[in-house]
Amino acid sequence: MNMFFEITMAILLVAMFFSMVRMILGPTVWDRLLSLNLISAKIILLIAVYAVYMENQMLLDVALSAGIVGFLTITLFAKFILAGGRQK
Amino acid sequence: MIWKIFMVVSWMYIIFGVLGIFRFNNLYSRLLTSSKIDTVAAIAMLIALTIYSGFSAYTVKLLLLLFFLILTNPISSHIIVRSAYLNGMPINEKEDKQWKWR
Repeated sequence: MNMFFEITMAILLVAMFFSMVRMILGPTVWDRLLSLNLISAKIILLIAVYAVYMENQMLLDVALSAGIVGFLTITLFAKFILAGGRQK
Repeated sequence: MIWKIFMVVSWMYIIFGVLGIFRFNNLYSRLLTSSKIDTVAAIAMLIALTIYSGFSAYTVKLLLLLFFLILTNPISSHIIVRSAYLNGMPINEKEDKQWKWR
């Protein structure tokens, strides 16, 4: 029964690792933003699965606030790059 | 039993999303596959956790998290595409090789 959650967390960690590889070798800035988006979505899922696995309700609030922080990060980075970044 | 099916579906979507990042060689197709597939994986996994935990205090928080993810995940991928398009990133693959990377 609990085996499913462990396999799920392992798959999420492997997917986060390959998104990190894409972030390192991505040719443009927007590839790195894309992989940041994927990693933040997978962090939310990882915290939610861990909260149900450990039967701890408080961790779901942590997942919600991590989602808000990730969304604001991507929005502000995209506006910063759209305005010219550090070059202008 | 039903939550196991949803969980396996979300595993498959996560694996195909990671595969789609590496297989395509244009930025827009990478964004297309990864954003859609990742949203579907998140929805399937949160539905599986909701069914598993039954009707309890977990349900409200998990549904709130699901609503938040449905609301924000397409918006953030749209913002990335808009930022790439307005900066002059070419859509054709032929122009893609001639463009100087930043």
